[in-house]
Amino acid sequence: MQASRARLFKEYKEVQREKTADPDIQLVCDDSNIFKWTALIKGPSETPYEGGVFQLAFSVPEQYPLQPPQVRFLTKIFHPNVHFKTGEICLDILKNAWSPAWTLQSVCRAIIALMAHPEPDSPLNCDSGNLLRSGDVRGYQSMARMYTRLAAMPKKG
Amino acid sequence: MDSEDDMHDANDIESLDDDFYSGETEDAPMDYYSDYDDDPDDYFDDADDSDRVESRRPEQNFTVLMEPDIRQRQEDDITRVSTVLSISQVAASILLRNYNWSVSKVHDAWFADEDQVRRTVGLLEKPVYENPNARELTCGICFEAYPPSRIQTASCGHPYCFSCWGGYIGTSINDGPGCLMLRCPDPSCDAAVDQDMINLLASDEDREKYDRYLLRSYIEDNKKTKWCPAPGCEYAVNFDAGSGNYDVSCLCSYSFCWNCTEEAHRPVDCGTVSKWILKNSAESENMNWILANSKPCPKCKRPIEKNQGCMHMTCTPPCKFEFCWLCLGTWSDHGERTGGFYACNRYEAAKQEGVYDETEKRREMAKNSLERYTHYYERWASNQSSRQKALADLHQMQTVHIEKLSDTQCQPESQLKFITEAWLQIVECRRVLKWTYAYGYYLPEHEHAKKQFFEYLQGEAESGLERLHQCAEKELQLFLNGDSPSREFNDFRTKLAGLTSVTRNYFENLVRALENGLCDVDSNGAASSKATLSKNAAGSSKGRGGRGKGAIRASISSRMADDNHWSCEQCTYANVRSATACQMCNQQRR
Ligand SMILES: [Zn+2]
Ligand SMILES: [Zn+2]
Ligand SMILES: [Zn+2]
Ligand SMILES: [Zn+2]
Ligand SMILES: [Zn+2]
Ligand SMILES: [Zn+2]
Ligand SMILES: [Zn+2]
Repeated sequence: MQASRARLFKEYKEVQREKTADPDIQLVCDDSNIFKWTALIKGPSETPYEGGVFQLAFSVPEQYPLQPPQVRFLTKIFHPNVHFKTGEICLDILKNAWSPAWTLQSVCRAIIALMAHPEPDSPLNCDSGNLLRSGDVRGYQSMARMYTRLAAMPKKG
Repeated sequence: MDSEDDMHDANDIESLDDDFYSGETEDAPMDYYSDYDDDPDDYFDDADDSDRVESRRPEQNFTVLMEPDIRQRQEDDITRVSTVLSISQVAASILLRNYNWSVSKVHDAWFADEDQVRRTVGLLEKPVYENPNARELTCGICFEAYPPSRIQTASCGHPYCFSCWGGYIGTSINDGPGCLMLRCPDPSCDAAVDQDMINLLASDEDREKYDRYLLRSYIEDNKKTKWCPAPGCEYAVNFDAGSGNYDVSCLCSYSFCWNCTEEAHRPVDCGTVSKWILKNSAESENMNWILANSKPCPKCKRPIEKNQGCMHMTCTPPCKFEFCWLCLGTWSDHGERTGGFYACNRYEAAKQEGVYDETEKRREMAKNSLERYTHYYERWASNQSSRQKALADLHQMQTVHIEKLSDTQCQPESQLKFITEAWLQIVECRRVLKWTYAYGYYLPEHEHAKKQFFEYLQGEAESGLERLHQCAEKELQLFLNGDSPSREFNDFRTKLAGLTSVTRNYFENLVRALENGLCDVDSNGAASSKATLSKNAAGSSKGRGGRGKGAIRASISSRMADDNHWSCEQCTYANVRSATACQMCNQQRR
């Protein structure tokens, strides 16, 4: 508990210090609980998520960083490796490939990379996975773009 | 039967890499069995190893390993790789783990492309990360700064503090055997975490777990070794491919098939066994009643409990009806006194006469198929429990009775060995007989000649075994109860030893015939053998020289050549010259 708190505090200070280091990621620690974080990440360019801003919720276990944080999308997203209803993410580094050398910041970077490079073979969203696996890239892209516009873009006016 | 499965299994075994060093490994551990062969007394006095009757087969193609042997072999392999490749012991251990503990595979891969091997297993020659030459280093996990003395690195140089290493290693060890392949915590780094680091950084408890995993890996990842599947047994078996005989027996007394790890099932093949076991579990609800230990006497209907191993039941007085546990028929029909053909092992479908409509016919067929299965299952299961009983009796014999008997009969224990031998034979025969019922169930109905030949051999073997089992169980009891030397004891010795040898012959024939796929039938014209055998079934003791008989006599005659004895036509027992009828089966001398 003490080790995880100390480590999270280090990450917190690092985030404060380097606020502008990565313009695509904005990590915010909960005011009352250092084990709860949220992040806003920008959809990578040249993907159907471009222009969208996606919110992630982090729940950090007491064994952190020996155990990975739990992360899910709060913003609706159409992506083969993200559960459409719960926002749960299928990403190896959040499971068996976790290393304590990862940080919340680097997890965000890995999620952005996953948005740009979906893995249709381990789908949490079957519709989306099937579109990609059957080679219907345009179908997948237009669905993903539609949900980005509906859910991840500030309403105009 | 499942020829594809068999092929597959066989290939698996053949593809075992033949270590080019295996010649050296071979003589390292003790060879238990050859010790026993040298000193038969040792063999039988060792009361716990009752199952080892099988290990007397000359071609011993396996070795039982105890923990010290396993550690020794593991250490030898590591040292060998370390010496040949001029690398540290811990590096050699990492290499071997990555190549399923095959010394030859490590060598091949290393000499083909050392750099490639180093990259894949994570043995770096120099650090990839240069620590800034500072007074303080920052741990890559807790991000705290430490003096270099409190920082550890793997071969890559990535710095982590002692406490973070401890947590990292501990988490991995408690996640399971994957800890044996642990790499540096840096996500982009493949450097292996070796055993020296584990020993330095893990807690005592974790170190012990790691050590266990390492030992287990040596057995489980190595294609030539397996743990003995008996519950609670900690021995392993090293198997050398070649003879095609997969039966191995562990020092704990359990015999199992090295190929499929089911209980030993020679002469029946693995495919048949796994089909049979699957079938049994599918039918288990239907078959529960078979495992019940009591049946109503066929004559007086009172429930009779089976508490002995042989199938010969005698109802309690005043009824005293003697019947067969399996078929509930009169025991005297079972070939002992009449010399008739033993047919209790055969399944005869109920005759279907008259006109059936479709539903009735289908119902009848369903009933028949269940009845047929029941027939085989009951015999399989009864022989299984009979074998368990015999094992217990054998143990009792070795630990209690032999000594007592030696006193009451004034016979040195070495001269009572024939009793232990009889029981060992019974145990082994019950096992073989049990599996022949799985074999029989899957023997295609339309192969009439094979089926009859098989049932003939099985019936002969079974009736011999029943005689032997009964003699060892009931006739011996008289002497166990007595308290002074009995003049009949020598006759008993002759009879029991004779039955043991006769039964062994029957079973050797049965095993050989099944292992040949009953091909003796094909080569000599199926039709004639069918005719002869069915005539025999009618009970005539004449003209029993059908195909089966010929084969049996041919294979046994060699050991029966002796001027002072004549060999019984029916059961092959070697009788003394003066006897006019066989002492075993009452067959008249011809
Ligand atoms: Zn640390
Ligand atoms: Zn490293
Ligand atoms: Zn064992
Ligand atoms: Zn097998
Ligand atoms: Zn009765
Ligand atoms: Zn019977
Ligand atoms: Zn005889």
